[in-house]
Amino acid sequence: MRDTRPERSGWRRLLRRGALAAVLVLVAGALFVRSGLYNVAASSDHWPFTTWLIDRVRVHSVDTWSSFVPAPPSLDDADLLALGAAHFEGGCTPCHSRPGDPANAIAAAMLPPPPPLGTVVGSMDAKALFWIVKHGLKYTAMPAWPAQQRDDEVWAVTAFLVRLPELSPRAYRELAGMTRTGQAVQDGAELATGSESVGLTECVRCHGDAETGPLSGYVPVLNAQPRRYLERALAEYADAQRPSGVMQPVATLLTPAERRRLAAWYAGLAAPREDRPDPAPGLVEEGRRLAREGEPGTGLPPCLACHARDHPESFPSLAGQNPEYLLGQLGLFRRGARDGTVHGQIMGVIARRLGDRQAQAAAAYFASLPAGGAPALAEIAP
Amino acid sequence: MRPPGLRRAACILAPVLLAAGCAGVQSALEPAGVEAVHIDRLLRLVTLFLALVFAGVLVATAIALAGPHAWREKLASEHLVVHAGMVFPLVALSVLLGYGIWVMGQGGSAQAGVGLRLDEDIAAAFEALPASGLRIAVTGERWWWRVEYVTADGRRFASANELRLPVGEPVPVLLASADVIHSFWVPKLAGKLDMIPGRVNTLTLEATAPGVSRGQCAEYCGGAHALMSFFVVAMPPAEFAAWLEREAAPAAEPATRAATAGRRLFMTHGCAGCHAIRGTVARGTIGPDLTHVGGRLSLGAGVLPNEPQAMARWIRDTAHVKPENLMPPFAIFTDAELRDLATYLEGLE
Repeated sequence: MRDTRPERSGWRRLLRRGALAAVLVLVAGALFVRSGLYNVAASSDHWPFTTWLIDRVRVHSVDTWSSFVPAPPSLDDADLLALGAAHFEGGCTPCHSRPGDPANAIAAAMLPPPPPLGTVVGSMDAKALFWIVKHGLKYTAMPAWPAQQRDDEVWAVTAFLVRLPELSPRAYRELAGMTRTGQAVQDGAELATGSESVGLTECVRCHGDAETGPLSGYVPVLNAQPRRYLERALAEYADAQRPSGVMQPVATLLTPAERRRLAAWYAGLAAPREDRPDPAPGLVEEGRRLAREGEPGTGLPPCLACHARDHPESFPSLAGQNPEYLLGQLGLFRRGARDGTVHGQIMGVIARRLGDRQAQAAAAYFASLPAGGAPALAEIAP
Repeated sequence: MRPPGLRRAACILAPVLLAAGCAGVQSALEPAGVEAVHIDRLLRLVTLFLALVFAGVLVATAIALAGPHAWREKLASEHLVVHAGMVFPLVALSVLLGYGIWVMGQGGSAQAGVGLRLDEDIAAAFEALPASGLRIAVTGERWWWRVEYVTADGRRFASANELRLPVGEPVPVLLASADVIHSFWVPKLAGKLDMIPGRVNTLTLEATAPGVSRGQCAEYCGGAHALMSFFVVAMPPAEFAAWLEREAAPAAEPATRAATAGRRLFMTHGCAGCHAIRGTVARGTIGPDLTHVGGRLSLGAGVLPNEPQAMARWIRDTAHVKPENLMPPFAIFTDAELRDLATYLEGLE
């Protein structure tokens, strides 16, 4: 017993000193934090070592986590590209600037400053871009996508970013719809064109006006929609009941009175006529049958039971709508992303009974109709 | 520890309390149909027979343990083993079996459908029945009962979740399924018979007295199986004939402003996509026919009493009233709109 004593006390001494050192470090650390001596000012840079460390962590983190991103949809889709560009103009340029424009002075004073995207994104693959746009980046000012259910929107921005390095400033302006604003003159027109509500992304840029249709198939035609439906949609976006990283930020900027006027303005516009060829043989006909008769065996009611010409004001008109938008929304309904509203809960139940082909057929059928050209309820009854 | 007296009292009381559950609209022990009477008779006979045999065994055991020597001698004889142990069971059980088979023959006869299309199968099965009387088809759906009547004069019309029968007339009821296996069981009227996809079974119901019986799906069929019930109302023949005329007729025009508003809501807000109301543009066949929904005893297949408030609750909150049922929740209506809808639908008698 006695022989082992010195050895044990050596261990003990070491342990005691270690514990003492740990306590001292903690106390010193607490005093340092409490003293406020550390300078959090963004006006001075990090230590070079800190900058290097943050940079390494970020690069490897993006590498690792973006490898779990599912395979992208076709990013060459012109409609996807246009939607991404249009949202970039509204949501991203405040910090990242337009192609060709100098960096915004305020954004340039961030730590770290938003990088010039034209040079950075070229070295990144689509999955990494998607991951950053969807999740944002810690230790930078890059925010996450406001609606995490909307991967479809994130892919649109990704599609745009992939093409960004090769875009001239002129081509960008064209693509983002900036050449489309300015013709609208009517009640609520100033609002829609952005001249009234400061900071509001102009509706017309994406959704068009009396002369032009939406700039992308993924953007809905608002012309001649029921006023109450448009108002409801804006309210649901503003309350985040209907998720969209594109529409939520815009809708929250609007007061209820502005939403009413905007809805009334678009409801009063005539719809631009677009002839859409049948995307696949027989698809429109199949959709027509589904819309008029449904498929009782699988519990599918006719679409026209709710979306006939004489449908209630709070339901959307589907006739003449963009097929890409319709199909995209059906996808959201099927994934439950639109279960946040009482209207969405009804459509969600129905949409989840649709097969892929049926969803395409229904979208193709309604897209093939002229706006306001859906049959009336009495016409479909046999 | 509980005092032994209390435990004994509990032992005596428990069966009495349990027996109280044997009464009511869903009791096989209060038969109100011909087949149920047969089954009840069989049950009583077998129970009595078993009681007598049990008593005999007890007496024999008592003798074996404590009887006089001479009696125990007789008990041990081969004679008794042959007669009481072989001949008696053979004869008694054969007689009972024969009676049981005869009772079974009084009930349903099964016939195979061709299994191509449900509506064609049912139409063919209707054809095969004598055309002179009332015929009914009940199809099990998830989770409700589709009902069709064919009258003696050949009119065919739909109803749902309730059956009405004339007292004293045997009515053939075709039983089919639209999806999974269900089982049709009205204990007060008859034994249960399965509804099997691809087959059409026939059960003959004959009510012996007017009154209400409750039926229940007796084969687990998923989600809302436990809430898949219905009522059968047996009526005196004259009353039934009058009811049948009303039921066969299209829906009445709404009589009040509220009901008119309710009808407009019903037709434009999608209800008509799944439900039919004869005499209107509503021709949906996915959900129950609502032509005379106001005249039924219950809503949602035996789930709620049929009254305006319950109707409003069903429309708005169907997913909570009957979890997993296939109707979407219509929470889009205001309270006033729900009142109008309920007024319209409750008026459809």
